[in-house]
Amino acid sequence: MTIPPTADVRTTLVSDLDKGFTVLVRAYQPGIYSGALRLTHSREDAQEVAQDTFLRAYTALGKYNDDRILKLKVRPWLWTIAVNLCRTRAKRARPTNPLPPEETLGADDDDHFDDTDWNRRLEALSQTQRRAVVLRHVADLPVNEIAEVTGRPVGTVKADISRGLARLRTIMEAEEPK
Amino acid sequence: MTNIEELLGDLNVTPPVDLERSTLVSAGAADQVATTDSAFGPLWISWSPIGVTGVSPLFACPTVDEFMEVHRRNVYTASRLPADLTDQIDAALEFGTTSEFPVDLRGITEFQGSVLEACRRIESGSVRSYGWIADELKNPGAVRAVGTALGHNPIPLLIPCHRVVRSDGSIGSYAFGSDMKHDLLLSEGAILA
Repeated sequence: MTIPPTADVRTTLVSDLDKGFTVLVRAYQPGIYSGALRLTHSREDAQEVAQDTFLRAYTALGKYNDDRILKLKVRPWLWTIAVNLCRTRAKRARPTNPLPPEETLGADDDDHFDDTDWNRRLEALSQTQRRAVVLRHVADLPVNEIAEVTGRPVGTVKADISRGLARLRTIMEAEEPK
Repeated sequence: MTNIEELLGDLNVTPPVDLERSTLVSAGAADQVATTDSAFGPLWISWSPIGVTGVSPLFACPTVDEFMEVHRRNVYTASRLPADLTDQIDAALEFGTTSEFPVDLRGITEFQGSVLEACRRIESGSVRSYGWIADELKNPGAVRAVGTALGHNPIPLLIPCHRVVRSDGSIGSYAFGSDMKHDLLLSEGAILA
């Protein structure tokens, strides 16, 4: 789905919470699921994060007045909730239902990616690098929004992304046949 | 060397098909809908985690899209009603025990909600006038507004707006026609003028 302009989402939320919330879920849940999948390495956790993020958002939106909703930075707000939920899950024991190997993936999965390889590569990054790289290049967030979500300065986020990508490049070059 | 940014972009995948549905339904931002049989033919019945949100005979709304249009709610089709609601709704349709199942009346005005709650207290086999409901609300001048509120009842049959008739005992109007209102009241054993 094409993501509608944030101002339109906010206006719809103010005029009709349920309709606006439906727009919000359709626009942002796929990105949050994809990002959570790479941050938790678990389909079960990613689904829970992608659902709980929006359930918390819905409860909060029901309590916000119109002015607060109209000033809301929607995507970083949702991602702040999602990243906190991912962090909570990371503190728990290892997932009981980790990503299956490529050959068992369902029909909705891209034939071209290999979960096991990507999990291993992303695990090799520091937590801040992995989060910055996933938010920037999997979830497609701009750097300034990642800075809001993570509470780190823009310059630091850029460095996290740059170092993370360099590390991934090194890992993938080492994987290529000589 | 393949572009790493592009490969990472390919990791943006489609979520499981039921994730959107389960999120919207769990939040209460969308309802589920299923059909059930009644003496007046099949009915659409929609519900939220709180209770029943909408009812319409299929002859009035032949498709789920038309049901959505009338009720102005996003709905997802389910194969059947939840078991606990099925028992309560079957009892309401068969024995007229219309005050004993949960309803979700979000989205309507406080006044309309009060009118519908008063209407639920009218027992099967009885009829009351629009004026009676206005008196119940301690607002005797609101007879016309009561009629309007009942005319927009989102849960007809189960919230028995058909049990409200004119003060002269004549049957009055009904969303699905006066004949159906007449038949409903007769089937409940009401004595009509």
